[in-house]
Amino acid sequence: MNDLAIHTQGLAKYFGKTRAVDGLDLKVPRGAVYGFLGRNGAGKTTTVKTLLGLLRASGGSAQVLGYDTGRDLVAILERTGFVPENKTLFSTLTPAQIVRFNQGYFPKWSNELVARYADLFEVPMHTTFAKLSLGNKTKVCHLLALCQGADLLILDEPSIGLDPVITDLLLRVLVEDHVSEGKTVFLSSHQLGEVERIADWVGIIEKGKILLETRLEDIRQNYRLIRAAFETEVVISSPDLIAVQTSENFRSYLVTREAEEFAAMLRAKGMTILEILPVNLEEVFLGLTRKGVPCISGKPGTIAVPA
Amino acid sequence: MYLWKAWHDCRARVGLYIVATVTIAVLCGLGVIAQANSYHAFFMLHPYRPQAHAGFYNFSFEMDIPFWTLHGTILGWGATWNFANFPMFWEVFGFGSMAMLLAALSLGVSGVGKEYGAGTMNSVLTRPAPRWNFILTDWIVGLTGLVIILSGLAFPLLPFLYAIHAKGPGNILAGLPTLWVLGAAIYGLSHFTTLVTGSASKGLTLSAATLLTYSFLPAALHEWWHMDALLKATQWTMGAFDWDAWPLSPFNWGATIFWLVVAVGFLAASLAWITFHEV
Repeated sequence: MNDLAIHTQGLAKYFGKTRAVDGLDLKVPRGAVYGFLGRNGAGKTTTVKTLLGLLRASGGSAQVLGYDTGRDLVAILERTGFVPENKTLFSTLTPAQIVRFNQGYFPKWSNELVARYADLFEVPMHTTFAKLSLGNKTKVCHLLALCQGADLLILDEPSIGLDPVITDLLLRVLVEDHVSEGKTVFLSSHQLGEVERIADWVGIIEKGKILLETRLEDIRQNYRLIRAAFETEVVISSPDLIAVQTSENFRSYLVTREAEEFAAMLRAKGMTILEILPVNLEEVFLGLTRKGVPCISGKPGTIAVPA
Repeated sequence: MYLWKAWHDCRARVGLYIVATVTIAVLCGLGVIAQANSYHAFFMLHPYRPQAHAGFYNFSFEMDIPFWTLHGTILGWGATWNFANFPMFWEVFGFGSMAMLLAALSLGVSGVGKEYGAGTMNSVLTRPAPRWNFILTDWIVGLTGLVIILSGLAFPLLPFLYAIHAKGPGNILAGLPTLWVLGAAIYGLSHFTTLVTGSASKGLTLSAATLLTYSFLPAALHEWWHMDALLKATQWTMGAFDWDAWPLSPFNWGATIFWLVVAVGFLAASLAWITFHEV
């Protein structure tokens, strides 16, 4: 069995001249929670739709659970739970009727889980979908994905409309009921705190390309922000350097490993090291994706270092 | 499964149209009796009043086929009489054509195509089933509903026919297959246009525009530019639905098969669309 739940190689999706996904290489290990991050329009939803066969790839290849997305779509869909970005289901049906519509499609469907999660998430099962609040609509989408016995859950903006209590419950359910049984969760989200809480791996996408794919633990243990002061312009180049932010005579370097060695190199170039700090996911994300344009104050913003 | 949802989405319309067609049929059945009574009254005053009444019963008149055949020339009927020749029997299919048109359009736009506009196509197409499955299921449910609806035009007439003539209903049922086939073609049109436009209302508008164009463009070309070819062609395709000629005319296989081909064409187009279209 393939060790990867999702594996794309040079995956591309073009809409005319727009390159929504442009040579994307993803490796999502089985049994992991993978946070798929990116700014608006970065290509996250297009990637998800391509993986599920809703869009046809313009180039490259993609395998989900070892099945090719071009040839074995039904096998993929049978094993994949999907919560779409828009959280829209059939407006005239009640959640109970939507469950009835869905259950016949999935051999591993569990009505016991339906009862359990409907109770846990407080889903109004007999109100028509159109009359539900956004939060309840989101709960219904999760209910369907969680009860189908999927090996892979693809959740696009999973916490939209959910209150903090239900969000907390959902994250616990994902980890305790699904990941613990070897299932994979692919989380496409802007909620970095939620991703940081449960993810094992993160992938950051920008303009259809993967900027960073790493273990979250690697970020916690090895990634560092080095703040330094300089008097004359210094040019630094290192494979460990992924982002630089300059503000007046101060500069912040985001490095992926060997922070002390990198700091020594800065010192050797005449810079004064002010501090070396651990970073969180948000700082890495902002460091990689924030545009290199002056901020409102007129000071320079972050400049991502070209690979 | 989608079969359940497809039926759930259109069952209210099927019920409504069944009520409509059965009502049309019952009213026409009552009309038949009224017409028979009026003819009876006419012949009661006529010197050729029948003396033998074999085969007819239940109402205030008694007639038989030999009588009508004998006196057909009085009313200008040259052919052998059949009780299905009462004008109300023709009209039931005239009204029925309109019911068929509305039912076929209405059922067609309730197909899977409307899910694009509702934003739920993602949810449908991520169910683990081949995409053609959704189209075929729609067609099975839609056409079954249509057949039941249109049968509601003919079968409620049977008791009226038996009521006035012991020999039975004649060939009143022969009009049904042509209606089914034309209904399937119009269902296919509205199902396909809904799929292409991604919206029930847009699909309905485009279907209605197509039907109006088909109905009026050939006549307009004939009137304005004396181009007859298209008019002749469309008249040929509608030959099977010339209720004034039916049921004395032979069954129009050519036109019926033409509409069957059109229906299959729309089915194929819908299958191709859902297979290759991206969401």
